[in-house]
Amino acid sequence: MEMKLFGMIAEKAEAESIALEAASVMELKRKAEERIEGLAAMSYAIAVDRRIMNDDAPLNGNEEVALLPPFAGG
Amino acid sequence: MSETKAHKKRDIFLEGPIDTAFIAESIAKHATRTDIGAHEIFLGQVRADRAAGTGGKFPAPTTTAIEYTAYRDMANEQMLPIREEAFARWPITCLHVHHSLGTIQAGELCFFVFASAPHRQAAREAVAYVTDEVKKRLPIFGKEIREDSTHVWKSNQ
Repeated sequence: MEMKLFGMIAEKAEAESIALEAASVMELKRKAEERIEGLAAMSYAIAVDRRIMNDDAPLNGNEEVALLPPFAGG
Repeated sequence: MSETKAHKKRDIFLEGPIDTAFIAESIAKHATRTDIGAHEIFLGQVRADRAAGTGGKFPAPTTTAIEYTAYRDMANEQMLPIREEAFARWPITCLHVHHSLGTIQAGELCFFVFASAPHRQAAREAVAYVTDEVKKRLPIFGKEIREDSTHVWKSNQ
């Protein structure tokens, strides 16, 4: 699946998205942390179909997934 | 149709700073709604913050602009429950929210929250609530550009 990246995470990865395969949010995080240097030390959330999900949420591969750094609106 | 439903598909984002003429027009559009007795507005302005920790002989660089990006579809979806919560909690007539994308210079406006109600207290409380919830719940990202061309990422914590 294609994971969207934003803000400082997109900057670190030098990409707007990366391709990853994962069966759960936890696995997605682990793989993203392997791929993006420094991510493990950062504060971030995972959105699945535009909602923030916990680590144990399963993935079937057809979701829209995104990695979100801290919010800064306003 | 209620205001809530009428606004469901609205995109809150605007490219560039929020023009004061746009704010004036937004207010003027309510002149026909004579059930309204109070308008309340919050305006967010980009502040020329000085970076912390490196003062003294070599003053820290100040922020000259914020470059805003967003996960636009998610932000617009997350706006719907905030709007519904505001209408459920306060007797407001209408609610408008706009946020900038792109580079906004220090001194320019980037965030506009506007509620109208028959009475002032509802409008006031709804604007305060919506302003805080937008900052907390919408995936909007801000890169603070400094005068020395370095940058830091803004965080609402």
